[in-house]
Amino acid sequence: MNIQTTKVSTTMVVTVAGRLDAVTAPDYERRFTALIAEGEKRFIVDFEKLDYISSAGLRALLATAKRVKGISGEIALANIGGTVKEVFDISGFGSIFSMYESVDSALIAVNK
Amino acid sequence: MIKIEHLSKKFGDLVVLKDVTIEIKAGEVISIIGPSGTGKSTFLRCINLLDQPTGGAIHIDGVNILDPKVDVPKIRQKMNMVFQSFNLYSHLSVMENLTLGPVKLLGLSSREAERKSLDLLKLVGLAEKANSYPDELSGGQKQRVAIARCMAMEPRIILFDEPTSALDPTMVSEVLSVIRRLAKDGMTMAIVTHEMAFARDVSNRVLYMDEGYIYEEGTPEQIFEHPQKDKTKAFINRVRSFNYRIATPDYDLYAMNAEIETFCEKQILPVKTRGNLVLVVEEMLQMYNSLLGTAPLDLIVSYSEKKEVLEVVFEIEGVAVNVFDQNMFPDEFGLSIVKSLTESIDYQREGNKNSLSLLLKKMAS
Repeated sequence: MNIQTTKVSTTMVVTVAGRLDAVTAPDYERRFTALIAEGEKRFIVDFEKLDYISSAGLRALLATAKRVKGISGEIALANIGGTVKEVFDISGFGSIFSMYESVDSALIAVNK
Repeated sequence: MIKIEHLSKKFGDLVVLKDVTIEIKAGEVISIIGPSGTGKSTFLRCINLLDQPTGGAIHIDGVNILDPKVDVPKIRQKMNMVFQSFNLYSHLSVMENLTLGPVKLLGLSSREAERKSLDLLKLVGLAEKANSYPDELSGGQKQRVAIARCMAMEPRIILFDEPTSALDPTMVSEVLSVIRRLAKDGMTMAIVTHEMAFARDVSNRVLYMDEGYIYEEGTPEQIFEHPQKDKTKAFINRVRSFNYRIATPDYDLYAMNAEIETFCEKQILPVKTRGNLVLVVEEMLQMYNSLLGTAPLDLIVSYSEKKEVLEVVFEIEGVAVNVFDQNMFPDEFGLSIVKSLTESIDYQREGNKNSLSLLLKKMAS
């Protein structure tokens, strides 16, 4: 899994590529913990390059979202498609998050 | 030529080989088949002392090579090994890879070593690659060079540890042809392979390994047409199945996934089906996580081309436990994923063994 971050105004866009599974989920959480520690509060997670997600990945998303909420921050998900969207749908995960079709639309929503 | 008696091998508490006794005569070609994780490669590596056996004896031409007084390097020169991952020296050219051993260990002059090596490269069809480097070769070419390198040391027996497993299907036949030729020329060989048709065709004898033993042995016809024992029958008749043993919670998920993907590719399963299978296996293994330290878990994936049914079975010995009934998922996500992707989930207990069988839903390509 590869994580890249880009700051757009006050929002951190986190691009996740590859697999978010039992092996890589801890790295995802660690990265978010570090970003929160650096003072970041607004996040968009871009899933365009994510090929695979398992329940371990979903739990990591949930855990980091709770931490962001805990600091009164905002988090939105963007570009969820393909097999990742199917996993979201069948696990009922889709209803938990704000999801957007693009990073741009997510940025607008998060910065309202 | 090689006489192995009561060979055993443990890695810590993990017993891989319990009691292996076999004789390999000069000129024989022995194929060693069986599920993954049953000690086939460990058996070969013990013969070559790449792994030190825990017990037993290995006699090469009457000399027990496990005797501390024996000149092991000298004995080992009689054997050579071809590995799944080729193991060529990437900083040396093909010719240099072949001549290194004969010059340093057999005392040949560089000129003589090069002359012989060129003959060997012609034998494997790669004379024009003598000055190339391994990185410039395809997988099949690398493996043929590896075989030629083995031959350069004039071994009396060659051990092959899954020589084609790392190759894509288009390259497998070029390597098998070289091995067939060696067999025709009378080279003594022991070959761990998953290529059943090849094993049937080239071998004098086939050993089916399971449970840490040579579970059953016989001629190719005996083993492939008339297997006698249950596990041999299951293995031969369900050759379109893939077995993977997980011994500890620290298993390599990606290595396992790679093997699952390879199996699915061979069955020409749609990409979506492969993805769903990998996902279901990962979710189920999370349920088994707390049990993984107690006993090994056997994962058996089998595909019926006729019925287009993909089944994955999880087997673990121990107290009666149906992980699905006891809902050992950490939360509802994994449970929902598995239920959505499977048609049926069936638990059975036979003796001391818990068996959970999942049939995956058929997916479009």
